[in-house]
Amino acid sequence: MPITLPAKLGSLAVALIALIVLPHLTTGYVVYLANLMLIYIILALGLNILIGETGQFGLAHVAFYGIGIYTTAILAGRFDVPFPVAIVAGMLLAGAIGFLLGAVSFRMRDIYLALSTFAFGEAMQWVFKSWDDVTNGPNGMRIPQASMFGFRITNDHDAYYIVLAVTIVVVLATVALMRSRLGRAFRAVRESEPAALALGVNVRLTKVIAFTLSAVYAGLAGGVYASFSSFIHPDSLGFTTTILVLTMIVVGGLGSIAGAIMGALILGLIQELLRQAPSYQEIIYGVILILFMMYAPKGVAGAIKARFGRSAAK
Amino acid sequence: MTVTPFLSIKNLTVKFGGLTAVNDFSMDVMPGSIHALIGPNGAGKSTVFNCISRYYQPVSGDILFQGTSLMQTPAHGTAIRGIARTFQNLELFNGISVVENVMVGLDAALKRDGKRLSPRQMRLEAEAILERTGLADYRNEQADALDFGHQKLLELSRALAVRPKLLLLDEPAAGLRNREIAALDRLLVDLVRKEGLTVILVEHVMQLVMSISDGITVLSFGQKIAEGLPAEVRQNQQVIEAYLGREGGAAA
Ligand SMILES: Nc1ncnc2c1ncn2[C@@H]1O[C@H](COP(=O)(O)OP(=O)(O)O)[C@@H](O)[C@H]1O
Ligand SMILES: [Mg+2]
Repeated sequence: MPITLPAKLGSLAVALIALIVLPHLTTGYVVYLANLMLIYIILALGLNILIGETGQFGLAHVAFYGIGIYTTAILAGRFDVPFPVAIVAGMLLAGAIGFLLGAVSFRMRDIYLALSTFAFGEAMQWVFKSWDDVTNGPNGMRIPQASMFGFRITNDHDAYYIVLAVTIVVVLATVALMRSRLGRAFRAVRESEPAALALGVNVRLTKVIAFTLSAVYAGLAGGVYASFSSFIHPDSLGFTTTILVLTMIVVGGLGSIAGAIMGALILGLIQELLRQAPSYQEIIYGVILILFMMYAPKGVAGAIKARFGRSAAK
Repeated sequence: MTVTPFLSIKNLTVKFGGLTAVNDFSMDVMPGSIHALIGPNGAGKSTVFNCISRYYQPVSGDILFQGTSLMQTPAHGTAIRGIARTFQNLELFNGISVVENVMVGLDAALKRDGKRLSPRQMRLEAEAILERTGLADYRNEQADALDFGHQKLLELSRALAVRPKLLLLDEPAAGLRNREIAALDRLLVDLVRKEGLTVILVEHVMQLVMSISDGITVLSFGQKIAEGLPAEVRQNQQVIEAYLGREGGAAA
């Protein structure tokens, strides 16, 4: 049974209303979780551009997230830069470093690309942990209270609507991007480089753009996280978090925006459930990742599409 | 009066390690013609295509397109200059829909013209091309769900979407049924005679080659062994020995 357009719009409207009233119906903890989920959605959409759409196994996503967090926190905390400006600066810095990483690794592929970007991610975590003067090293860093557009963010409730608005803008921009010429170029590069070249796609440039954009998303997620969080510890910026985001997009379905969103919600919840058992997180994400890659390579979005026809998920 | 060739390959030599795949090969293709490039498997035909589309770098020689060398053009620049191609071994964008495959071709044409279309207009244009190649019914399928013959037609559709001046077709009839080959024949004749396209055709289906080619060049082991009108080439003793003589096995 294909899902009709009115049904789609209807459920979107219901979801939107639910998202808007959510903080009025629930406790602070749920709102905190909701903020975190929205951050995960931005992270997952960003990694999906690189891995899902363009097919480049970059595994340094959390490094750019960390760059966004630290840049925003440092600029706002030590230099009194307004929060929105600090967030944009974090995005740009993450994007610039993503650009460089993409530019030096565009020739690598598959396992080589995965390994070198993994190494870059590890190196960045080491920087976060060791650069005491700037990041306060292994003890972690306090993030100042944010104030944006004239109102202070003192708790999760205050942040919620801003985080929600940013996430909605990011989702809509991503939908437009994926329908654009650039979005098609990403997929062309993923599916066949010789054909992409023969059809006028600058493969090298397209890969570098994918790296850059993916890093910009992660940097934005970091900056927004910094706007409602009061503390950042470098231990949370390790490979486990990259694997978590990778598992989100695989579970949701690589190359699907709806999939990235669903994956972020599902894995976000699982992560929260595992908060008491941090040592099991890595192994559980790993097992989920492998099971999905083996038995449901198209993820939840693919399963919905197969069940309800092609209009359901894209 | 002499007509300048539309495409002129001059003394092209391509090596892979110790193997000389194409050896001092020259060929001229006239504007608005269908020029066949034939020869046994491994003769170097696809390698010539890969050089024209700038995917392979020859060790020596030059390729002139409309009088200017292609050697400074990057691989992603050939479509912008008006060259489109299909691949012998299929290089479709498998994981996306049939219509989106064609849209990537349209993107190249639009980039060349400096134009933009709305997603809706893009779709309509792509569907019009699929109508022409007989794939309209499959437009929403994923590309790799098509059978081999239809995938070949999709490669052709995608190349046509580039609105090229020069079209390189690498065994487009492989996997097609007789009725589909006849349709392909009509389509190519239409494109060349009515729309002024120039086509280089690598093909083993001799009935198609002989019926639509204006000129034929024969390659064997990287060397040109014959060239001329279809009737001349058909009579050539060397060609019969190298290639047509083993017609039965040549279609592999
Ligand atoms: N990328 C490559 N690497 C190594 N050898 C190649 C490559 N491409 C083609 N060849 C070799 O060059 C020769 C010509 O191949 P090809 O151009 O594909 O022939 P044809 O298209 O006429 O069948 C063959 O011996 C083939 O093995
Ligand atoms: Mg060949």
